[in-house]
Amino acid sequence: MQLTSKHGMGGTGVRRALAAAAAGLLASGQGKTQEAASAPPTTTVDSALLVYHEVNRVQAIEPEVNVTHVINEDSTVLFGVAADSLTGATPLGAVPSSLPQSYVRPYKVVPLGTPLTVTTASGGSTVVIVPPPSGAKTQTLSASHVVPPNTYPLDHGFYDRRVAGHLGWEQALTSTFKLDGGVAYSKEHDYRSESAHVGFTQDFNGHNTTLNAAINYESDLSFPIGGTPTPLTVMNGEWKGPDTSMHEVDAVVGVTQVMSRRWLATLSYSYSDEHGYQNDPYKLISVVDPVSGQPTEQLYENRPTLRRKQSVFLDNKVHLASDVIGVSLRAYRDDWGIKSVTADLRYRWQMSPDFYIEPHLRIYSQGAADFFHYYLVGNETVPQYASADTRLAKFHAETVGVKFGAPVSDTSELNLRVEYYDQHGNGSPAGAIGQLQQQNLFPDLKAYTLLLGYTFAF
Amino acid sequence: MKTKFRRCWPNRPADRSDSAAPPSGSARLRPVTALALAALMGGVGGCSVLGAKPWEHDLLAEHAMQVDPYPLQTAIDDHIYFSKEASSGGRSFAGGGCGCN
Repeated sequence: MQLTSKHGMGGTGVRRALAAAAAGLLASGQGKTQEAASAPPTTTVDSALLVYHEVNRVQAIEPEVNVTHVINEDSTVLFGVAADSLTGATPLGAVPSSLPQSYVRPYKVVPLGTPLTVTTASGGSTVVIVPPPSGAKTQTLSASHVVPPNTYPLDHGFYDRRVAGHLGWEQALTSTFKLDGGVAYSKEHDYRSESAHVGFTQDFNGHNTTLNAAINYESDLSFPIGGTPTPLTVMNGEWKGPDTSMHEVDAVVGVTQVMSRRWLATLSYSYSDEHGYQNDPYKLISVVDPVSGQPTEQLYENRPTLRRKQSVFLDNKVHLASDVIGVSLRAYRDDWGIKSVTADLRYRWQMSPDFYIEPHLRIYSQGAADFFHYYLVGNETVPQYASADTRLAKFHAETVGVKFGAPVSDTSELNLRVEYYDQHGNGSPAGAIGQLQQQNLFPDLKAYTLLLGYTFAF
Repeated sequence: MKTKFRRCWPNRPADRSDSAAPPSGSARLRPVTALALAALMGGVGGCSVLGAKPWEHDLLAEHAMQVDPYPLQTAIDDHIYFSKEASSGGRSFAGGGCGCN
């Protein structure tokens, strides 16, 4: 609907391309050299390198590349690959204690009788042999570690590697109607995701209004290290259950409207329906003594197998004299009881025709899932669903950052973004029992991101 | 361009025969939903006053005015937030992955 260059480069590049074309016309008779120079690029390579650092927790490095190739006026193919590597520490979900706590997780299965040649595992854990049942031909090695007193329990031994790719196609059937579709694949050492989507866009009103709709199907397979634990059973070092799956259908419908020469607005509604295993197999929830608040046992969490999610997203871009303001709002709810609101503000400050600085502020607030509990109490009935994953708790988060961008050539841009994310919830919930009153049950999550982007077209 | 559409789509609400009657269940509309619907109706139905002429699309053609000028970076952001928060999606599909950490 917009007069955008298909190779997706910035307005500066567009202006230069037009200038080059005009120069070519004026210098008629100069031969094919200038014609070739003014031909628009057909391939755009968009690359990025993410360095993500959580204070005392996860560290990640993630390179990604997307390629868009315009085959002809009506057809475009898109593909991309990504990889990431994560290490560090992640919350176990358990509550801290004034006493040392011992945690154990399955580590490896070896033939029965294999001598224990390795006594430590990643994260400073101690490897121990789980006594096998009689007649077994294998034995399980488990990793055990001790969390010091008054320390928020983290799993320091986790690591993850992910590779992902996608392939897509866009086909214009008329000057106002376009179909698109694609497939995506993501593989981690304990998770696999496959998805496919189709959609369309239809322009109306002299290309001032665009209606879009798309549907996506995703099939996921979870195969956690140590197997899939039985929900709400007590933590142990034994090898657990088989792989589990989850299926998801997503739909999004939206309208983009040119409000004026300087104002573009988008409104979208999305719906997702997820069926299947949705637990985090590594997360625990503590059962505490009703008087002292000391953890007496740790259970594996349990979440509902059905989740329906809805969101409304409103985005606005306003072009000032030379700067651009982008402001978006998202309202979200699901039938797990979670509601959230997200506000995002970007101001692209065009310092010169070629260089910009873009401050960014994002504010996020969510309510807790119905089944979120900081902990369970020993003398009370264990609920059907329970999770102490603080990502399902009530919290607020802010992101502040700034991005710098400049062209390297007429058809390329280099940009660098630095951001800080702070997630904070209630670490001292009302009614905390005994020693839990002295503990922080929701430590802040602080993260820094460094994102280097380079886009070029040819 | 092969064809030009001069007509609004869909018809403006005032043109619709049933537009005067409140939709069923409207009393239960939440503020956010009402705001979204108002924006949608304003955006789609008000084409007689909204929009820009073809020769006024110069600023809209700039890279920064695209709906998502940096889709790769948006996807990276979405994946981070998907891993750290309970909400996802809105702009597009959330994308694959466990997000367990």
